Amino acid sequence: MAETFLELKDIHKSFGGVQALKGVDLTIRCGEIHCLAGENGSGKSTLIKVISGAHEPTKGEIYIEGERILHLNPIIAIEHGIQVIYQDFAIFPNLTVAENIAMNRAVSTGAKLMNWKGARELALEAMEQIGAKMDPDVLVENLSVANRQMVAICRTIINDAKLLILDEPTAALTSKEVQKLYAILRRLRDKGIAVMIVNHKLDEVFEIAERLTILRNGEKISTGMIDEYDRNRFVKELTGRNISESFYEPKASEEEIFRAENIGRKGAFEEVSFSLKRGDVFGITGLLDSGRGQIGDALFGINPIQSGKIFLHGKQIEINSTEDAVRHKIAYVPEDRLTQGLFLDRSIQDNTIAASISKYFIRGKLDEQAMYQATVEWIKRIGCVAPSPEASVRTLSGGNAQKIVIAKWLNTDPALLILNGPTVGVDIGAKYDIHQILRRLAGEGIGVIVISDDLPELIQNCNHILVMKNGRVSEIVEPSEVNETELATMMSSQ
Amino acid sequence: MQKITNYFKKADRIALALLIGSVLIFVLMGVTHPKFFGKSNLQSMLIQCPEYGILAFGMMIAMIAGGIDLSLVGIANLSGIVAAVLMLRMGGTNLSIGIGIVAAVLVGSLCGLFNGFIIGFLDIPAMLVTLCGLQLYSGLALIITKGPAITGLPETFSNIANGKLLGVPIGAIVFVLIAILLCYLLYYTVFGKSLYLMGTNKIASRFSGINNLRITMLTYCLSGIFGSLAGILMASHYNSAKSDYGTSYTLLTLLIVVLGGVNPNGGRGKVMGVVMSIILLQLVSSAFNILRVNAFVKTFAWGLILILVTTATYLTAQKEARD
Amino acid sequence: MNQKIRNFLTSNEMIVVYIIAGLAILIGSVNHAFNSISTVVNLARTMLVTLIFAMCEMLVIVSGGIDVSFPAIASLAMIATGNIMLKNGLDNVPLAFLMGAIIGGVLGTLNAVLIAVVKMPPLIATLGVSSMTSGATLAIFGAKILTVLPAKLDELYKVSLFTYTNPEGITYSLTVLFLIPIGICLLMWFLLKYTMFGRGIYATGGDIRAARIAGFNVTAIQFFVYIMSGILSGIAGITYMILMRAADPSVLMGSEMMVIAAVVMGGTRITGGHGTVLGTILGVTLISLIKNNLIMLGVPTHFQTFVIGLIMIVGTSITSLKAKHIANSAKI
Repeated sequence: MAETFLELKDIHKSFGGVQALKGVDLTIRCGEIHCLAGENGSGKSTLIKVISGAHEPTKGEIYIEGERILHLNPIIAIEHGIQVIYQDFAIFPNLTVAENIAMNRAVSTGAKLMNWKGARELALEAMEQIGAKMDPDVLVENLSVANRQMVAICRTIINDAKLLILDEPTAALTSKEVQKLYAILRRLRDKGIAVMIVNHKLDEVFEIAERLTILRNGEKISTGMIDEYDRNRFVKELTGRNISESFYEPKASEEEIFRAENIGRKGAFEEVSFSLKRGDVFGITGLLDSGRGQIGDALFGINPIQSGKIFLHGKQIEINSTEDAVRHKIAYVPEDRLTQGLFLDRSIQDNTIAASISKYFIRGKLDEQAMYQATVEWIKRIGCVAPSPEASVRTLSGGNAQKIVIAKWLNTDPALLILNGPTVGVDIGAKYDIHQILRRLAGEGIGVIVISDDLPELIQNCNHILVMKNGRVSEIVEPSEVNETELATMMSSQ
Repeated sequence: MQKITNYFKKADRIALALLIGSVLIFVLMGVTHPKFFGKSNLQSMLIQCPEYGILAFGMMIAMIAGGIDLSLVGIANLSGIVAAVLMLRMGGTNLSIGIGIVAAVLVGSLCGLFNGFIIGFLDIPAMLVTLCGLQLYSGLALIITKGPAITGLPETFSNIANGKLLGVPIGAIVFVLIAILLCYLLYYTVFGKSLYLMGTNKIASRFSGINNLRITMLTYCLSGIFGSLAGILMASHYNSAKSDYGTSYTLLTLLIVVLGGVNPNGGRGKVMGVVMSIILLQLVSSAFNILRVNAFVKTFAWGLILILVTTATYLTAQKEARD
Repeated sequence: MNQKIRNFLTSNEMIVVYIIAGLAILIGSVNHAFNSISTVVNLARTMLVTLIFAMCEMLVIVSGGIDVSFPAIASLAMIATGNIMLKNGLDNVPLAFLMGAIIGGVLGTLNAVLIAVVKMPPLIATLGVSSMTSGATLAIFGAKILTVLPAKLDELYKVSLFTYTNPEGITYSLTVLFLIPIGICLLMWFLLKYTMFGRGIYATGGDIRAARIAGFNVTAIQFFVYIMSGILSGIAGITYMILMRAADPSVLMGSEMMVIAAVVMGGTRITGGHGTVLGTILGVTLISLIKNNLIMLGVPTHFQTFVIGLIMIVGTSITSLKAKHIANSAKI
């Protein structure tokens, strides 16, 4: 058995009255790839912050290489070789690759002068170690997300990382890039570095992890070698529920709501055709670089289609701007809720009516009363837990905030509702609610398109799933015919 | 009764604080210097404050949109000069005055549209664009005048700012009308609602089907029109037009809007707060005049007040965050 | 390697070089008087103080802020130093510069406190300080122009680096004061390129949060930047006073537009994190060239403001669009 690098015993952490961690034990060994899985709100980000010294636990013991650390803070953590790579990497787009890699070490050693030659050598050495090839003199703003991640990894290596923690490292990577990242992580593991990955995507966890820890509601559910787990146990322990085998099966209808014919946009997707009947919840999936998200952006007029035709209720329409889309009653719940979907500092009411303001312009003025009434009604109908329509959206949880984004669009009385990653960062209860809402809307005759990489979500809630691969339609399948693993294979097979 | 208490709850604390400040100065000055209540002082206050007050409204809407308009003074001077030149060329008849005013407003709206287009379409920071705009519009004004002021404007024209309607200076009436119009535009129209939303989050407004470019261009166009109206009042008040009148107004209008509770990051700001802030500053300014304080001390005081107010706002915000 | 040459040829600096070259050829062919050493000497004289201001502004913009208070600070430094020295019979060149630097440093500290501690938007903070400073200058010292300077300061003006007499017998001399901006540029270049602190300024302008995580003392960096800008502005004020052999409290006001234009033309991004000493020098050269020689192209002086405005808007549009293009282009 390899020696233990980090040991956490009975870690508790509470914020105000809320218990984020309730007695978590965790052991990480040198030279292993350990996966930390948990849904949103399970406490995994709090746990990472405890390990990196950003949060001091309310109770519990921390041992690094056998030595008890009483007051762990970020500086002590870094001295012991604990390095965290967050999702935004915390790198400088305006500086060169070499500088980014060498910067932190130079600062921590208290260097007064910038050693350009040394920085280049250091950067080349670090890249050599992980097998990455980049021009050290190029500015980071010119790099892809994957290469920025490489820069972040290189930086931790020259800081003598012994434990490397990556927070959802594959979220923005293409399939090839994920493979490359995994190769690098394995290489680091072989050098004796402990690697901890935060992830909850089933296939990726099974591919890379050697050991697995599952968190739920601030408690550790289980830890074990990966071969002790199968798909069912993983999902059950992650969500606390059995995989339900119920599918969404609407009444068959011939009434077509939406049709896309050979639509395309340069560099994103091409020759995509599909059709949506009344009652359908239509799923679109694929890997990050497959063009799935771009279809949503294109249909809503953010980056409009350049070829092909789209029809709504049998009539051909042109969408060249988001304004066009709203006029044609197309609604879009975007991928990034916080920046694209919501006006965080404005009230729930302002958010709810944001896409339908002109509706309330009656007899020369906006009807405040009607806006207020509509908001109250939507809060009730959509099951949003909110103090009042005047409360700022910032105060809402992820799930309730997402419901407000949906309410904003339902208030426009849409003909077609496109949702891109509708349940990302949403807790389980709200996720269930949102799925029920989507089914209900489809039943009411609104066309619903769900773009997602959450395969169980698609299988359970859609009655058609379009699989995108390299910007083209790979297949359109019925969920009852496939399981999650088969779907995953369709997405990634070469 | 319920309605009234509700109204006071809704009216922000900033406007209330400014009102209290104004009353204090009014009473204090009135008691110690009876001249402060004199007719001539009240009259001159009402003539002065519409000029920069209207400019401040332009600054306010630009700031609510998440930007800033540093070109306002340039637009004011350019419009004033265009109006003056047209009037003189056409012989100073009443018709020519009308044409001059219309042309000035047209110039103002065109300058504003240009600002708005560059900001919205090319996505260049408003601060930079309007700074360039100031240079451009002042430059155009200088090309027209070749330097010296244009004088000898028709008497009827100078009566606009110096004349009275029912004992109230016409400029003040224009100011009140604009304030009412602005309240309507901001609170009761689709444009106003969209403006506040866009100022809060430009990306989310685009993702809600709001046409950001149109709102930005409209906003700066409106701000340009306000600039030109202030320019007409200035030209009428001084009975002349020059390319570098009112250079201190840029800072003054910034001070007014920040003092009036408009958020420099966009999305927040009320007409009432800005009006209160204009009144307060006019009272301070008049008090300085009556106390015979050097005009330069006033410039100093404006800067000091701006800094003190923002510092105070920051400290209270910090305290609230802690609680 | 080919790629590197292409990158070099299309860099911001090179684009400004092309424009300068094109403009020089144009002016030279229209008016032959342009092709003489006197043009260079006049250009150097015009650039002298602008260059110091541009270095302050570049430093501040790179760190992610903006400073519009430097003309007011320079004016106060110049008037206060001149008046105090004359009144007290002081006459010492280093003392003059020291006083200028101290006055500038104090006001720079005020800027720094407002921006780094009170978290005011830099534009509003420096506008406020600018107003206070210029108001104080005029209120304390009056609007009178000082035309008689202490003797030693005046003597410094007459010291020349080199003199040139043209065939018509007119003598042009390059004042020794030109060494001041050269020294500041060299210092700034070393600071920004070869010290960790300088790299920290870029890091802060690039991503302030990441800079904190990397271990930089961001508050100290912001303090340094605004204080440095204040000190250099003070020195610029004294330099200007000696160069003009007079202290005029309002002549520098309004020059911030041109300085910001020059800095942005030189490839400094207004959003922070990008900017070089060389680019800024080129930007100042371009603007000064236009300012000095527009008349040689037959453009009347009252067109100057407009033409500079036009160049500013075109220049900023180009740099902004270039930055946007980089953000949207395919990544490697």
